[in-house]
Amino acid sequence: MTDAMIGLIALPLAGALATLLLPRSATAVAIGTGLATTVAAGLLLSGVATQGALHYEIGGWSAGLGIALRADGLSALLLMMTALVALAASVYASAYFNTASERARFWPLWLLLWTALNALLLSGDLFNLYVTLELLGLSAVALASLSGRRAAVAAALRYLLVGLLGSMMFLAGVSLLYAGYGTLDLAALSHMVAPGPSAWTALALMTTGLLLKTALFPLHFWLPPAHASAPAPVSAVLSALVVKAAFYLVLRLWLDVFATVVTPAAANLLGLLGAGAVLWGSWHALQAERLKLLAAYSTVAQLGYLFLFFPLLLALPSGPARDLAAGGLVMLALTHGFAKAGLFLAIGVIQQRCGHDTIRQLDGTAQRLPATTFAIALAGVALIGLPPSGAFLGKWQLLAGAVEAGQWLWLVVTAVGSLLAAAYIFKVLGHAFGHRPYPNQPVTVAREEWPALLLAGMAALVLGLSGAPMWKLLELGI
Amino acid sequence: MLTTQILYALTGCMIVALGLRGALLHASVLQRIVAINVMGAGVFMLLIAVAYRGPGLPPDPVPHALVLTGIVVAVSATALALALVRRLHAEQEDD
Amino acid sequence: MNTMGLLVFDGLLLFSIVGLAWASLATTDVRRGVILFMAFGLLLAVAWGRLLAPDVALAEAAIGAGLSGALLLAAVHRQPRPLSPGATHDSLYRSAAAVSMVVRWVVTLLSAALAGTLAWGLLHAFSSTPQDMLPRAIAENLAASGVSNPVTAVLLNFRAYDTLLELAVLLTSVLGIFSLGPATPGYQPAGPIFDGLVRWLVPVLILMAGYLLWVGAHAPGGAFQAGATLAAAGVVLRLAGRARIGLPEGFALRIVMTAGVSVFLLVGLTLLLLGRPFLGYPPAWAGALILLIETAAMLSIAATLLLAFLGGQPESTGVKAAANRQREEISRC
Repeated sequence: MTDAMIGLIALPLAGALATLLLPRSATAVAIGTGLATTVAAGLLLSGVATQGALHYEIGGWSAGLGIALRADGLSALLLMMTALVALAASVYASAYFNTASERARFWPLWLLLWTALNALLLSGDLFNLYVTLELLGLSAVALASLSGRRAAVAAALRYLLVGLLGSMMFLAGVSLLYAGYGTLDLAALSHMVAPGPSAWTALALMTTGLLLKTALFPLHFWLPPAHASAPAPVSAVLSALVVKAAFYLVLRLWLDVFATVVTPAAANLLGLLGAGAVLWGSWHALQAERLKLLAAYSTVAQLGYLFLFFPLLLALPSGPARDLAAGGLVMLALTHGFAKAGLFLAIGVIQQRCGHDTIRQLDGTAQRLPATTFAIALAGVALIGLPPSGAFLGKWQLLAGAVEAGQWLWLVVTAVGSLLAAAYIFKVLGHAFGHRPYPNQPVTVAREEWPALLLAGMAALVLGLSGAPMWKLLELGI
Repeated sequence: MLTTQILYALTGCMIVALGLRGALLHASVLQRIVAINVMGAGVFMLLIAVAYRGPGLPPDPVPHALVLTGIVVAVSATALALALVRRLHAEQEDD
Repeated sequence: MNTMGLLVFDGLLLFSIVGLAWASLATTDVRRGVILFMAFGLLLAVAWGRLLAPDVALAEAAIGAGLSGALLLAAVHRQPRPLSPGATHDSLYRSAAAVSMVVRWVVTLLSAALAGTLAWGLLHAFSSTPQDMLPRAIAENLAASGVSNPVTAVLLNFRAYDTLLELAVLLTSVLGIFSLGPATPGYQPAGPIFDGLVRWLVPVLILMAGYLLWVGAHAPGGAFQAGATLAAAGVVLRLAGRARIGLPEGFALRIVMTAGVSVFLLVGLTLLLLGRPFLGYPPAWAGALILLIETAAMLSIAATLLLAFLGGQPESTGVKAAANRQREEISRC
């Protein structure tokens, strides 16, 4: 099973090289690599489920001297989500790009992005995390600017500069930790880090750098333009996976490495910022005129929910209540990943068929593109948090945890946020179900529409109904 | 605690601050890119200061390797940023 | 040198470095700022030498000051006439005039606070007992690593996976640059003095690159420094207006670009298939494998850095390229 960890990194990387060297068969190579990577993710997940947390020392050097890869329940689940979302988006992308030159430029960068995501989720070394963050940032920026249009390039440039700022702060924190503890290995550090000025400063620096990358309010300004002007499959992966990777790192740092250093006050700060994100993001999503902007603002809001869990996780004593809250957090993260990706892919279909993504002019897409509209509806169910979606379970745990810990603010914020989400989703669906009858038969192109539908279905139905085994898997993690 | 180490580490902090200030304040994109590079140089100085163990002992090679990697990563990012700026200016001239 | 002398040297050096950083960022003339930044980079290289980091000093001089400086200068040179006030769209603030005194002071205080907290954390970290488990572990395992330069051992053996990903970062950057447009137009043919300089400089640079690659196993040097030197040779040729700057074309170019990552991956996976850990070189073969990887990496690094300087895929010349263009036009219909 440890070979699956290497496979998860080596397969997309080799695929990137192959698509670069063989541009004519790039699409076939890319889809093949995607399938192989998904199989590897499945193998890893089953390995973690049966054997518990896995680790692998690259080069055979003991952790500390060399770099270790680690996989536990949390990272295995995120890796599976990454694989499924990236595979679905790849299938869609094979239909989205029309010219050979576009495809030749897209596939290598896409597979490098996938490599970066997998490498980040598997890494057990602080500096290695920095390098994977940079690989992730550069490939994301390159993909976001692929269309070459001015809005996209400007947004991508801002994304790059903000990302670099964040990486520098992260690296400064890493230097502090190395200065204080002499090792870069995450597992070793989690035993060694003790409260003190160097640990606090390192935590603050690394968290701030990662918050820039995960676009938590008020450091979210770069996200809406970047995600809205990127090509549709790229937006899907940016919103669903890339920002999630930075969030995963915040989670790892706070719950693992700096577990003894974090204070409830700091967690409350994160929670407040998350609350701001939920309200600000949902409000702007409601006011958005374009579908892609709506989806991008929705990402800002949904990430806010994830941060609402932090004060709960710190306030609740170790035990079943805390485990359930942690499980809810992961469930919410996974559901959002699938739902947002499905939403962006569906929006991509609409944008290509109708030539625009203005909400007010969506008149009748339900009749012309029934599968896609259904996908949007399913994704909407998951974004609002209606049963049986995984988001419902996640938000339920959030509310239960808030009641248990006596922190009522999060209850109010979640309720308001969900109402706003319902408002903007129903607004979109209302425009999609236009009034005029559409005479022609709807045409469904499988490659274009099925990925969105499957992803959204995963979010709205499958995840919610498979909550129990997932909870068990997470016991091996956080 | 070596005086040299402290001296260089503190200077590194100063350079990081100068870089951050430049990155946030400048209106010109090129100067912001320079500022981010300066910030990076400050962090590298921190790492090399941590590695220095005095004139008698060989320095710790790990931060040196980290800084080497960091320099290459920084130049990659700078190159991409400059290409984006160039494309942006080309798009504007077309208007 | 006595400690007092060293202290004075350190003081002067650091004062100059901070002064250059300040000046580079304080000036309104971007070009002057870039040149001051290059000087800053060169003094940094001196500082790295002072702190017994010659490998890093070489890399800083070649890549950090040299190549970054060249990239930035070329960008300054290409900058169009000042844009109309409403056209700045990518700054955090709408235009320079709008950045009020309040914002300036807030940001300055913020940065100073960052420096202060960073310094506080560092001093606390330094005051605890020095941790040297990694240097000791490296010293113990150096013999088995295949090289005797500890930095090369860390980069190409103990933490080789980081270097693999770093080569991928370089590749990603160049692929992104490719997708944004063609290469910049070349320079005009050089006059007799520069041409004469180029005639002997380029062979010297190529020889130096080979030397740095070879010597990196037991002395400061290695693939990165060698690759940067090789790229510098290409940059010099380009600046002299030469049409051929040492880069292959088409498929061969892509092979060279990906050589570093490919060889690294191949070695790692082959070792895995042979039952060893990924990138776990057998001690008897370690030296040879490292040299193999470093050679491929040097070529890749040189090619990608040179392509980054070019700003895009170079215009193909010749019959083959014309045929390629024709084929692409057809597939676009």
